[in-house]
Order: sequence, then structure tokens, then C-alpha cells
Amino acid sequence: MGLDAFFAAIPFDQLLIQTVNGIVTGMILALVASGLTLIFGIMDVVNFAHGELFMLGAYVGVLTLAATGNFWVALVCASLLIALLGAVIHLTTLRPLIGRDPLTTILATFGLSLVLQNYALWQFGPVARKIQEPFTGQFAFFYLQYPWYRLVIAGLAAAIIAALWLFLKFGTYGIWIRATTQDRVMAEAMGIPVPWVLTAVFAIGAGMAAASGVLFGPLVGVNHAMGLDWVLRAFIVVVVGGMGNLGGSILAAIFISLLEAYASLFVPPSQAVIVSFVVLILTLLFRPTGLFVPTPK
Amino acid sequence: MTPLLKVEDIHTYYGKSHILHGISLEVGRGEVVGLLGRNGVGKSTTLKAIAGLVHPSAGQIVFDGRPIAGLPAYRLARLGIAYVPEDRRIFPLLTITENLRTGLDRHGVGKARKQELLDKVYAYFPVLAERRNQAGGTLSGGEQQMLAIARAMMLEPQIILLDEPTEGLMPRMVSQIREIIEVLHQEGVAVLLVEQNVPLTLDASERVYLIEKGVVRHHAASAELRADDAVIHQYMGV
Repeated sequence: MGLDAFFAAIPFDQLLIQTVNGIVTGMILALVASGLTLIFGIMDVVNFAHGELFMLGAYVGVLTLAATGNFWVALVCASLLIALLGAVIHLTTLRPLIGRDPLTTILATFGLSLVLQNYALWQFGPVARKIQEPFTGQFAFFYLQYPWYRLVIAGLAAAIIAALWLFLKFGTYGIWIRATTQDRVMAEAMGIPVPWVLTAVFAIGAGMAAASGVLFGPLVGVNHAMGLDWVLRAFIVVVVGGMGNLGGSILAAIFISLLEAYASLFVPPSQAVIVSFVVLILTLLFRPTGLFVPTPK
Repeated sequence: MTPLLKVEDIHTYYGKSHILHGISLEVGRGEVVGLLGRNGVGKSTTLKAIAGLVHPSAGQIVFDGRPIAGLPAYRLARLGIAYVPEDRRIFPLLTITENLRTGLDRHGVGKARKQELLDKVYAYFPVLAERRNQAGGTLSGGEQQMLAIARAMMLEPQIILLDEPTEGLMPRMVSQIREIIEVLHQEGVAVLLVEQNVPLTLDASERVYLIEKGVVRHHAASAELRADDAVIHQYMGV
């Protein structure tokens, strides 16, 4: 069988649909991963509780949506509330560990993820909740009725990431964050209140995870374990994109989601995840600094 | 008159090794003071302790009438202590303007004042003005040194702690650093200068402390040491 025959076996319309699907999940993944990579870049903390912040964000979304009936209010409320929770977590759990072995922060955030997950199970029960999407319009996309909402998610995720980028690039606090990421000691000597910058970055990352949780809620059910799957893929993205590299993470998120989407043309979607692990292992073997980072001299 | 900075009998440890064994020194307002000694006698550590980057286990540091030992470094920077480290520590991925803004974007500094400060350092350092949108990491060693000093000036400090500013620089750059110290002096900024370059230190400063093994062994006016270099020979081995 030649290459032509191989490609002829995949209908063009399916390929396009999977491209769109891949970009949509890729943008959500990028939103989760950019918070994770921002936190890692500035404080060398691998936040194992990131998926639980995503999950709690979705739950806060469920509750505020039930109370207010407005999806957008729920999105903003969840982001702010989980950002606040992130700040509290940083102050109580991570700040006391500054300067200790990195292993202690891994254990601390891992422990935290178990606590938050079981809190959600106890509080909300094992049955998945649903977030109603803000609008239900669809458009004809080949043989599918494709929901507009999916495209809106991708656009919103892109907008949030773009806002983060502009803030980091031009805002005073953005300069503080970048300076702290590059040289924490010198940043402090320049009068930048580094301990508070770290807390703020953790809060921003947490808020972004929560926003992703609410945005993605309508596509899957909201349950206590939903964070696991996402955080695993977000970790893959962060490593493949280069630890701490925001741009690299975004590219890697889209790259990996597209690969998974294409792979699910051939194998069941639950097995398509294997592709991500293959990419992860190859990256670690051949370009451990990340696919999208120039190899250091 | 009370000195601007008074360091009294400070001790520091790095792990188990005892680095400073009771350093005491003073810097008056607007005074340029030198700190001389061989490598590894604790000169840099003294500056770090004053900047709040190393916390002394014993002793007092009094700045502008208040004890500061134990305060976080960012508070000290805002009180008016600027630190220019030996390895310059430019933020490599920030542009020159952004490097300056790390010290400039403080609460209570108006927009006009910020522009004034920027214009001032760009006038002193035309090289930096030309490359203001270039990443700090792309500058040469001498240019990075200038940026490090310019960045410290953004804090409008009362004292600048300069750690070996001429190390590894070409002679032309060295004389430029000498001029900058003079400019700082004219503006009434005190300078505590750590150096290996003895002639430059004696020329730039009014008084000099000689350090050996973590303690001040000798203290004299620079003019005295210029006239009689036996002491310098003894402590610097030159």
C-alpha cells in the first residue's frame, strides 16, 4: 500500500473536523498549561494540585451558575474565587517551604491535590454535574452540526492567554514577574517585593486553571476527578514546550492536541492519548529542554 | 553628625563557615568609602549583608537612624540602599528600559519624575540610550556594568554599594566608571566601593577600610595611604 492509498483512506472532511477539534482542546490545554508553566518558571514549583484548581473552578462555576443563571458571571466568579484560594494556598503551604528541597514542595502540592479532590467528593458527591453552555447554536460543518460554543471556548482561551501575555510584556507587575523569574535575588535587591510576586503568580495560575474548568465544563461532566486527566496532559505539554516557557507551552498544547485528534481517526480516542506519551518520551530522550526552546549552548 | 550607615560588629555564616568575624564600619552622607582586601576576605559578603541579601547572625546595621538587620532586601532597596553586584546580574531577557523600570516603577514616583530619571541616566550613558529596546543579555561586559549602575540609580538611593565595578573591564571603561563614581558623589549619593583596583579606590574615596579574614584591620584616610603604601602592601600583597 502506497502513501497515496494511506491518505485516501482518511476522508478530507474528517481530517478538517479533527483539526478544529484539536485546536479547540489545544487552546483549553494551553490555558491550563500556561498557569502551570508560569508557576514553574518563577518558583521552580511543580504544582501537582493544578488539576484540582481546575476542578474546583468548574464546581464554583456550577454553583454560581445555579445561583445567578449567568454563565459569564460564573466564569468570572470562579476565576476570582480560585485565584484567592491559590493565594491562600501559596501563603500557607508553599511560602513556608521556600529554600527547602524541591521534593518537599512536590509532596506538599501532591498532598494538597488529594485533600482538594476528596473535599470535592465529600461536598459534591460522585455524580457528575453539568454546566449548561451559554448558548446552544450550531452550524453545519460537513456531516456534523458543530456547536458554536466550542469555537467560542477556543477564542476565549486565546483571549485570556493574549491578555496574560500583554500583561507580562507591558505591565509594571508583568516586568516584576519577569524580573523575578530571571533572577529572584537581584529582583529583590531592586525593591521588587518578591514574596508577594510569587503569591500573585500562584493566584494568577490558579485563576487561569479555574477559568479553563468553567469553559470546559459544558463539554464534559464536572466531577471530583476531572482534574487528573487534564493536569497529566498539561504536565506533558509543559515538559514538551520547555519548562517555564510560556510560548513553548502554548505551541506544545496545540501540537499535542492536534496529534491526539488525528490519532483518534485510527484508534479509539481513549487510546489516542498514547501519542502524547510518545511525544513526551521522545522529547525527554532527544530534546530534554523542550521542543520549542533553542538548545542552550 | 550621625553617619548614614553604621555597621557594628556583624557576623555571618555560610553554612558552617564563619565568613564575617565582626565587621564594623561607617559611611557618612554623600561620602565615598573604599573597602579593600584580598579575594575571599568577606568584602562582598559585607555588601550583601548591608543590602539584606545575607542576614547577619549577630551585630547591628543602622541606616539613616534605624536598625535594618533582618529586614527583607526589597524593603531596604526602597529605603535607599542600592546594590550593584560583582557579576552585575542584569536581567538578561528584559530590555534595557525594562531593566531600568525594575527600579523605577515604585509607588509614589510620578510619571514626570520617572521620565526625568530615565532621561538623566540616558544622558550619562548614551550607549544605553541607543540600545534601550535591546535585551540586557546582549550587552558587552562594560555596558552591562553601566546598566547595573544606571539601574541602581533608578532607586534614587542614598547609598550605592558597588562590588568590584571595574573587574574585567578595559582601561577606557575603568576611567568611565571612575567618572560615574564622581558624578554620584557630586549628586550627594554615598558610595561604598569594594575593589581590587587600589589606585582607583584611593583616588575615588575619602576613607578606606582594609579587611582581612572577615575583620577590619586598618582604617585610614585615602590621602594618607596614597602617601604611604606600606599598609596597602601588607594587606593586599601588592
